[in-house]
Amino acid sequence: MKAFQYVTAQSVDSARDWLGPRASYLAGGNDLLARMKEYLADPDLLVNVKSIPGLADIEPGDGHWTLGAQVTIARIEQDPQIRKLFPALHEAAAEVGSLQIRNVATLGGNLAQHSRCWYYRHRDVVCLKKKGPTCFARLGENKFHSLFTGNPCISTVVSNLSIALAALGAVVLVQQGKQTVRWSIADLYAKAWDNPIAHHSLAHGDLILKVEIPVEPGRSAYGQISEKGAFDWALVSCAAAAVFDDGRVKQARIVLGAVAPVPYQVEAANDLLKGKKIDEPLAARAADRLLAGAEPLEHNGYKIPMARALIQRTLLKLMG
Amino acid sequence: MPTWPKETKYIGRHVQRVDGPAKVTGSARYTSDVQPEGWLYGMILRSRWPAAKISDISLEKARQVPGIKAAILVREGERTIRYYGEELAAVAGTSKQACLDALRLIEVTASPLPFVVKETEALKDSSPPVWEKSPNLSKPKVVEKGDLAKAFGECAAVVEGFFTTPVLIHHPLETHGNTVSWTDEGITAWASTQGIFSVRDGLAGNLNVEQSKVRVISEFMGGGFGAKFGPGIEGALAARLSKAAKAPVKLMLTRFDQSLAVGNRPSSFQKIKLGASADGKLLAYELDAYGTAGIGSGGSTEGGGGGAEFPAPYIYTIPNIRVSHRGVTVNAGSARAFRAPGHPPASFGMESILDELAVKLNLDPVEIRLKNDPSPVRQREYQLGAERFGWKQKYHRPGSSPGPVKTGVGCAGASWGGGGGGTQAEAQINPDGSLEIRCGTQDLGTGTKTLIAVIAADLLQLKPDQIQVRIGDTRFPPSGGSGGSTTAASVSPAVFDACTQALEALQNQTGVADARGDNWKAACKKLGINPLIVGGKWQPGLSSSGTGGVQFAEVEVDADTGFVRVKKITCVQDCGMVVSRLTCESQVNGGIIMGLGYALYEQRVMDSTTGVVLNPNFETYKLPGLADVPQIDIILLDMPERGVIGIGEPVTIPTAAAIANAVANALGVRIGSLPITPDKVLAALGKTQAAHA
Repeated sequence: MKAFQYVTAQSVDSARDWLGPRASYLAGGNDLLARMKEYLADPDLLVNVKSIPGLADIEPGDGHWTLGAQVTIARIEQDPQIRKLFPALHEAAAEVGSLQIRNVATLGGNLAQHSRCWYYRHRDVVCLKKKGPTCFARLGENKFHSLFTGNPCISTVVSNLSIALAALGAVVLVQQGKQTVRWSIADLYAKAWDNPIAHHSLAHGDLILKVEIPVEPGRSAYGQISEKGAFDWALVSCAAAAVFDDGRVKQARIVLGAVAPVPYQVEAANDLLKGKKIDEPLAARAADRLLAGAEPLEHNGYKIPMARALIQRTLLKLMG
Repeated sequence: MPTWPKETKYIGRHVQRVDGPAKVTGSARYTSDVQPEGWLYGMILRSRWPAAKISDISLEKARQVPGIKAAILVREGERTIRYYGEELAAVAGTSKQACLDALRLIEVTASPLPFVVKETEALKDSSPPVWEKSPNLSKPKVVEKGDLAKAFGECAAVVEGFFTTPVLIHHPLETHGNTVSWTDEGITAWASTQGIFSVRDGLAGNLNVEQSKVRVISEFMGGGFGAKFGPGIEGALAARLSKAAKAPVKLMLTRFDQSLAVGNRPSSFQKIKLGASADGKLLAYELDAYGTAGIGSGGSTEGGGGGAEFPAPYIYTIPNIRVSHRGVTVNAGSARAFRAPGHPPASFGMESILDELAVKLNLDPVEIRLKNDPSPVRQREYQLGAERFGWKQKYHRPGSSPGPVKTGVGCAGASWGGGGGGTQAEAQINPDGSLEIRCGTQDLGTGTKTLIAVIAADLLQLKPDQIQVRIGDTRFPPSGGSGGSTTAASVSPAVFDACTQALEALQNQTGVADARGDNWKAACKKLGINPLIVGGKWQPGLSSSGTGGVQFAEVEVDADTGFVRVKKITCVQDCGMVVSRLTCESQVNGGIIMGLGYALYEQRVMDSTTGVVLNPNFETYKLPGLADVPQIDIILLDMPERGVIGIGEPVTIPTAAAIANAVANALGVRIGSLPITPDKVLAALGKTQAAHA
């Protein structure tokens, strides 16, 4: 990697002050340092944000829980209350990388990580996402790629936590310039839908501070299918959360991961569930709505039946 | 004829690895741990082009980087590059970063050439030739026996199938590499190698230095499966860098390097037709196969061929056959021997089509094997294994498992040669009773040191930890490369001979009638000042070759998601006399886990447009992890009367075939392509949605 300088910020303001055009925030470093080693990123300065007071706290609350962006994934996975209140988040956290990775990886880093597309990550391939002329995956090895996208790049969002947090209706607090903005998970990734260069909506200098998760009197679940039994990326993931009234769905969110550059949601699928009891036929119809319009390529058509099975299983899991 | 003792205290029993504590505490020094005074890092610049004419490489700017002590070209003058990752130049410097910086400043003038990286594309006449003067597709090598057309006509059942296996990359946990010091006195190389003497001879030959002036040391090494025999280009470069920089150079490949240029298992594409009589006797077999060994037919290997051919119809004897093999050259790193060269793809194709035939004839897969397998050893193993595995209770008609998560079972067999020879060893008995055994072999991690200690301990009635085993140095009596599962069968008889003769000499010299066990120390004391050093060599009668093994697999397949989980592997393996039971069983575990990788996870992925290896890391080149490893049940068929036989290779052969057969049994449809990943399962079940046109 290229030589760089390193500072530790003690406040959000100082982190922002340090972040010049050739600087990067450093949290767990799993993604950034690996990109630097492959010369995919070459910042002159790393601004360590792990020591900023308050950003590594888990704050319980009656209306919502607040998780600091610097909370490690291992802490999310191991917190017994999170497991009880937000099972989807617990399950998604437990599937991230390996225990060693979860011990250092942070919530903010997981949300802001870059594409894992093997063309994008290859040191000698200049693909569309790296401002090259073309997406090689489109006509190449696209087994791990998107079924839905609004742009020519077909890499997928790979953050497990984003899928669970989208289902849970979480709000992301982002420091943007002098103000703190509140984004939905959909907002956090919207830019990646139609911009091939983007991995998320964060502009240079934006910093994820916290994530608020509303405490809803419902249930949630997350599941993923990988090629290996552990320590592997999801081929498809699915999270769902629902609030019930007398056994019928009052409101629900279903989200698919690894099928689009964003956590993939279809309002019509959520609406379908309202006022109904979840059973197999309903879950199948919800899957139809979520997967309508999928555009499989040469090697990723399997993701459609896989996603269908996962949607059905995740929804049925909500019934206990 | 010498014979092994009938009564043993250590031979054939579980004995802790003698070097276990050193390995777990980190005091064991591997090649990458060696740090001779003033050592430098070495690194290689590789081609970014899959094919190119290189007209000039300028090292000037690289040499200016602070800390860089040497920069050299792999070869002077114009040259043609034929695959992504081919070595161009190398640098040595005082830090890793200095080397990385220098590599980026080397200026290469290249004219890219057309290339082809996939077998199915390279087959075509229109594909760009990898070698200017010969076509990519070789002429078929054909073997014929009997009257095939007539025989197929007489068969009660004929099945056809197409089977493919991927290129696997050699990924031992310790990458290829050497630390080399080249001074006026000669060369000392610490090598991660399967053959210290072949590295010595390779360095001496390549660099024009007398063999007596080259010393190769490999005290501990982190795995070699057929691709670590010679010094390799990286070894020669380390030596040249050392000479140029006048300092020792450590050049260990990175995981990225490892994925490109140190050899691999060739792919195979097998069109098979098999026919049998109504009672399941195999009558006719036809194979039309091709596969790639990359740009060539394999680098320097001693463990077996690196070509794409494989034995067919594998372990079966069929009266009427036609076998055709073709090699396909592609712009990718070349093959090298890879744990049981040729056998795993052979086993996968043959055992798969055999199960298809069994289904068609309504025969139990174990029955059809008992009917056709000519090996009495495997006949016994199938019966033993089926009983232990519960085959009769578990086997069901293919696809009859209820529910979305389906269970299935399968089996497969394998054979391997092995055998030993060409090894010397010496025993040094010191007056204080300490004993040192020296042998110029090397321990790949299989437990060779423990094996030597166990033998000496039993013969001399000492404890294994009383014996100082010294190996991995070309100054010790010579032994061969550790390939072809020959190490145990080569080393054991030589150690037997050295110990037996040393004991005799000790008794003669000291007048002690039986110097073993309790009398040992007193006898040694009588030696006086000088230690006793006695040489021994490999003797016939203590080892043999030729093994058979069978494996049974039990799997669960999620028919909705395509996810395959292997629940259990039962392995019945013949390996003659077991010397060190713990390390022997460890070999079986390792072989099966490697076979599991072949079955479900591993494959080199090449990109047609860019010509690169797309998965040069453990993120996307997927190896089995702990969560994936099934219960492994091992039955070693003890046959002490046969002497010592190696076990490293045979145990990895049938695993993938047994798993594939179990998956087919679970689903009722066959996935004829390794690795069996969820996408292939869903496609085989007809669930996958086709691409938009």
